[in-house]
Amino acid sequence: MAGLIKSKGILFFIPLLFLCTLTTGCADKFPENKIIGGQPYSLLNQDSDSVVFPNDFKGKIVVMSFIYTNCPDICPLTTHNMQSIQEQVKKVNIKNVQFLELSFDPDRDTPSVLKEYGNIRNIDYSNFEFLTGKKSVVDTLLRHMNVVALQGDTTFTKSGTPVYFFTHTDRITLIDPKGKIRNEYRGSKTNIAEIVNDIKTLGD
Amino acid sequence: MTILLTILTLLNFHTPNLKVEGAWLRPAGKGMNSALYFEIVNNSNKPDTLYKVTSPAAELVQIHETFKTNGLMGMREVRFVVVKPHSTLTFQPGGYHVMFIKLKKDFKVNGKVNAVLYFKTNKEIKIKALVKRQ
Ligand SMILES: [Cu+2]
Repeated sequence: MAGLIKSKGILFFIPLLFLCTLTTGCADKFPENKIIGGQPYSLLNQDSDSVVFPNDFKGKIVVMSFIYTNCPDICPLTTHNMQSIQEQVKKVNIKNVQFLELSFDPDRDTPSVLKEYGNIRNIDYSNFEFLTGKKSVVDTLLRHMNVVALQGDTTFTKSGTPVYFFTHTDRITLIDPKGKIRNEYRGSKTNIAEIVNDIKTLGD
Repeated sequence: MTILLTILTLLNFHTPNLKVEGAWLRPAGKGMNSALYFEIVNNSNKPDTLYKVTSPAAELVQIHETFKTNGLMGMREVRFVVVKPHSTLTFQPGGYHVMFIKLKKDFKVNGKVNAVLYFKTNKEIKIKALVKRQ
């Protein structure tokens, strides 16, 4: 099963890469140039500080991903990839890059839950923030960022804790300093070099 | 010398039919979820079936698989997993994993967690899994 997913992913990725090079030339021209609708969004970060998205990040290149912390299989891969991109960007000395990870499960992912999720993973918070907020606000933002998160059926543990999971878009999104969406990548299995390259291109 | 001979004898005569190796878990805080991964090595010429995992460290433990549908990723419970004869089945991120739901304690990096894997033929295999990052 895992092997099948892996090989399918690669098969899907290679033609996409060719298509990009042939038609637009991804390196200098991004596949998208889209304003995020419905803004501004009033959110909270892991320290419960108020964050206005995307306004607070105008002038910065934003790398944004989408997770929920009750997902211990796929989502930590995405977070780990975000950390790797952050490290690479630091290494090649690109400044003005902000990393954001938005929870699509704001009911459970309160600021303190997100903070703990980050602390366990030694997140470097210097340019990395987790975001959550009112469910209606988060849902609207997700819609405008083409991210789907469908909540599954709820069961209960013996102590009565509700248990539910999401079927969700596996996504990292690149946003330019004007606040426009410029490229989208897979979140859990992703080509880090490609994203770092795109960040470099935007930074130039 | 005697010890060495004993070890060799043990190795020779106790090659288990079924082994669970390299068990590890994701770090997570109390009340949150973690995932357990390992390799099941089946040295016998018969298949065996993993149908249950238990652990005192979580309120609920389920065998899961991650799946992809219409570009979305999700996970669901699976009732059992068959390990073919003379093969290794790997539980790994993005594939099969054992969900630890509502942890009873913090799973800190380098911590150890006990679990029992239940197989149809080879009965119970007790493991100690290491908490680590990726
Ligand atoms: Cu799972």
